[in-house]
Amino acid sequence: MSGPVRLRIVGGAVHDPANGIDGEVRDICIEDGRIVAEVPPGTPTVDARGMVVMPGGVDIHSHVASSACNHGRRLLPEEHAADPASAPALVPEEMPGRSGSGGTLASTFTTGYRYAGLGYTTVFDAAVAPITARHTHAEFDDTPIVDGGFFVLLGNDDYLLRQVDAGERDRARDYAAWILGATGGYAIKIVNPGGIQAWKSGQRNLTEIDQLLGSSRVTPRAILETLADAATALRLPHPVHIHCNNLGVPGNVETTLETMEALDGRRAHFTHMQFHSYGKTAEGGWASAADQIIEYVNGNPLVSVDVGQVMFGPATTLSADGPLEYLLHASSGRKWVNIDVELETGCGIVPYSYAERSTVAALQWAVGLELFLLSEDPWRVVLSTDHPNGGSFLSYPALIQLLMDRSVRDAQLKRVNPRLLAGTALADGLSRQYTLNDIAIVTRAGPARLLGLRHKGHLGVGADADVTVYARDPDIARMFATPRYVVKAGVLVVEEGQLRRAPAGRRLRLNPRYDTAVLRDVRRHFEAYGTVAFDNFPVRELRDAPQEIG
Amino acid sequence: MNASARGGRSKPAQVAHVTCLGCGCACDDIVLTLRDDAIVQAEHACPLGTAWFGDGRVPAAIRVDGRECGVEPALDAAASLLHGARGRLLVFLGDDLTCEAQRQALGIADRLRAVADGVVSETAAQGILAGQRRGRATATLGEIRNRADVVLYWATDPDQRYPRFRSRYAGYPSGLHLRRGHRCRTVISVGIGADAGPADADVHLSFSPEQELGVLAELRARLAGRSLGEPAGPAAELGELVGRLTHARYVAIVHDGETSVERRSPDRTEALIALAQALNGPTRAALSTLRGGGNRNGAEAVMTWQTGYPFALDFSRGFPRYQPDRRVTELFDHRTFAAALVAGAPGSVPEAIRRGLGGVPTVVVGPRASESPFPVRVAIDTGVAGIHEAGVGYRMDDIPLPLQAALPGARSAAETLELLAARLAGAGR
Repeated sequence: MSGPVRLRIVGGAVHDPANGIDGEVRDICIEDGRIVAEVPPGTPTVDARGMVVMPGGVDIHSHVASSACNHGRRLLPEEHAADPASAPALVPEEMPGRSGSGGTLASTFTTGYRYAGLGYTTVFDAAVAPITARHTHAEFDDTPIVDGGFFVLLGNDDYLLRQVDAGERDRARDYAAWILGATGGYAIKIVNPGGIQAWKSGQRNLTEIDQLLGSSRVTPRAILETLADAATALRLPHPVHIHCNNLGVPGNVETTLETMEALDGRRAHFTHMQFHSYGKTAEGGWASAADQIIEYVNGNPLVSVDVGQVMFGPATTLSADGPLEYLLHASSGRKWVNIDVELETGCGIVPYSYAERSTVAALQWAVGLELFLLSEDPWRVVLSTDHPNGGSFLSYPALIQLLMDRSVRDAQLKRVNPRLLAGTALADGLSRQYTLNDIAIVTRAGPARLLGLRHKGHLGVGADADVTVYARDPDIARMFATPRYVVKAGVLVVEEGQLRRAPAGRRLRLNPRYDTAVLRDVRRHFEAYGTVAFDNFPVRELRDAPQEIG
Repeated sequence: MNASARGGRSKPAQVAHVTCLGCGCACDDIVLTLRDDAIVQAEHACPLGTAWFGDGRVPAAIRVDGRECGVEPALDAAASLLHGARGRLLVFLGDDLTCEAQRQALGIADRLRAVADGVVSETAAQGILAGQRRGRATATLGEIRNRADVVLYWATDPDQRYPRFRSRYAGYPSGLHLRRGHRCRTVISVGIGADAGPADADVHLSFSPEQELGVLAELRARLAGRSLGEPAGPAAELGELVGRLTHARYVAIVHDGETSVERRSPDRTEALIALAQALNGPTRAALSTLRGGGNRNGAEAVMTWQTGYPFALDFSRGFPRYQPDRRVTELFDHRTFAAALVAGAPGSVPEAIRRGLGGVPTVVVGPRASESPFPVRVAIDTGVAGIHEAGVGYRMDDIPLPLQAALPGARSAAETLELLAARLAGAGR
């Protein structure tokens, strides 16, 4: 029998903000997939002298493993053909690597390799229709290296909305708990509360948080309150994860602030905030309202956001927000997928691209950067591009460079279309530059803390041994695009900049406790309106034990 | 034989919530009654489903060049045949595999730098390609059941090839978003040539195959408030149809994504996609595509997530390339393969490919491999997905469903393919 697997990462400058370590040179010791205090002499070493050591990256909001992603992949053969991905040359003891294709929605194996190749070791898919959870698990099974989890879509669910309508909040809470356990999900996601149901029923959309859904008593506010309270009552590690109404609409800052205020006093995470931070000029045009949003966020410690930065280049808009995607299709004329998902939600996909010369794209780019640069608490304003909506996760290194290097940022600011940028904080000159510690917070420590992942995002004793080592480089984008070493659960996956091992990742899921009395009613609902048997709905063969709650 | 006269019979056992892969409806309410390791009844199953389940007995042979042997020597022979072949290899995904088995088979194709394809390439390619050009506006089947107040059957009567489609997914509204009862749903049948819609529809229209695309173009033009001039069909009928569609709350257009006897325009699906998308301006609409069984949608989903492409793959350069215009049947016209692996039921392999495989050394791993209709060098019988083997299978609308192993004992296709993959990985060093 082989002994414990150990590794010592020697002499790097460690950035472990969760443990108050900011660039201190020290060794990181690893045994059997965990960080330990010490390892015996003779343990294999990684020489990190002169390099930067951080915990593995944690992506709090991405779209990588879902039925919607697969519909997107199928829609985009031209993108895949332009970005073929050969199998990585893994060490001989490994099963050979797998080939695939890239583009904004890469194939699964390629997605795992590329995330790990950036030093990311944990990723959450932010939008999974419960009825398709089996599909997400199957995709994660084919997405190597990274630990994966997902958020379940509940903000337009027929059963849930009926409970909101009836004022049955306890029942709604127990239903949410059942859905999480039955699907192997990790958090509650709300997309355009009530608006997708309105889209499916012919009302088209809901644009105000007190607007009634059809002839019911359901409003976005009631949905938000019900599910935010459910997440709190169930002691979920991550609070309710919210995509507000009116995404991408000029003047939507009003809705966004109303939504935040509606949940005042509750923990809540607001996602891809950039897309929800637009003001409106007197003529009805676009303007930045990042300052209003970030002021609210800075002053309200229960609120957290991920930015959803727009990066110039190709993207694919992919969302449960069906009415939004219809508008994008109608305005762009590009090909469009819409899938109304029974009893639960919607799905829309439109290929897209952000051009520097586009007035709106330039504004969106600026709004995202303003949120980052005006943030007073990086622990609550974390990095995302809402991959692949604002740009691919492969653009994270370029985004980190924009945050850390003002000269690069200013050079790009000179190239973009300035028409809508007059008067923005960015155009007026924001001199702030993120430090390595700030980056470690917004890409690892912050997301892990917001997700309630106690063993991730830090390098303290007992943490998962997910570690990234970067060689210093004046070109920040290159530095973060090509880590020298990546360790995942104690396994050296990237060695000398080359992907060499591809172990399976773990599944991050919950199984909350709840009052099972609700199930009789849920079964009746399934039997009356569903097309999948109630007993076939739960995913039975879930991998890995659920995360602890409480 | 009089069954009850036999001594020592076991008691019948029942397995509920079984998913049927007899067609793409994937009904998951089947109750199997088992006795002596055989299916004696498949409750709720339609005639197609009853035939698909059969008595659940499958052969359990392992043969190399016609001689029975154990699984280890058979896997060695398969690996050596595939690895030793000089020239282009083919991996073909037949029916009745779990997604777990399909994933393994595709991994083998990747490793061997093979051409990889599946049954969908021969049956549903035009529709998939149209979807890649335009996208699609669709819905899962439960939305049709719960919302559609107008269901338009375009050149298809699902009762023939998808017998429970209408009762499960498009019958009387269940009352969640529509009042109950058939008066709340209007059924429109559009026949194209010999392809008729349901006989009991409320409204019947029919056009010739030559008129079809013109009619679809005219419908779209009228939605946009225009007309293309001389209508391809009766103007009054078209006007009435547009009125019914635009005044509906939710329109479901149902068409058959599989090939049929009547020759159809290759542009039909694209025109129907465009019509369904355009209807989402004035109202809501979804195009529902009927698809065959055997977990073909699963094969398409697996190919898509592992490679980015839904069928017609070529791994010869070390990464997947999409070759929808040079599919396997056409490849056989020009050249042959040095060896082939068929994963899945060989009986589902389309006739043109069977003919091409005639002279090719072929390995078959799947249900009834030993009864293959084409010559096979290595045959490893496995169970059938959803009868003997558990896993995931997909409905025609890409909803994933659990497949159960109701009958024990048969060899697992997924495990057998995994063993073969491991042997090929070892042989590659």
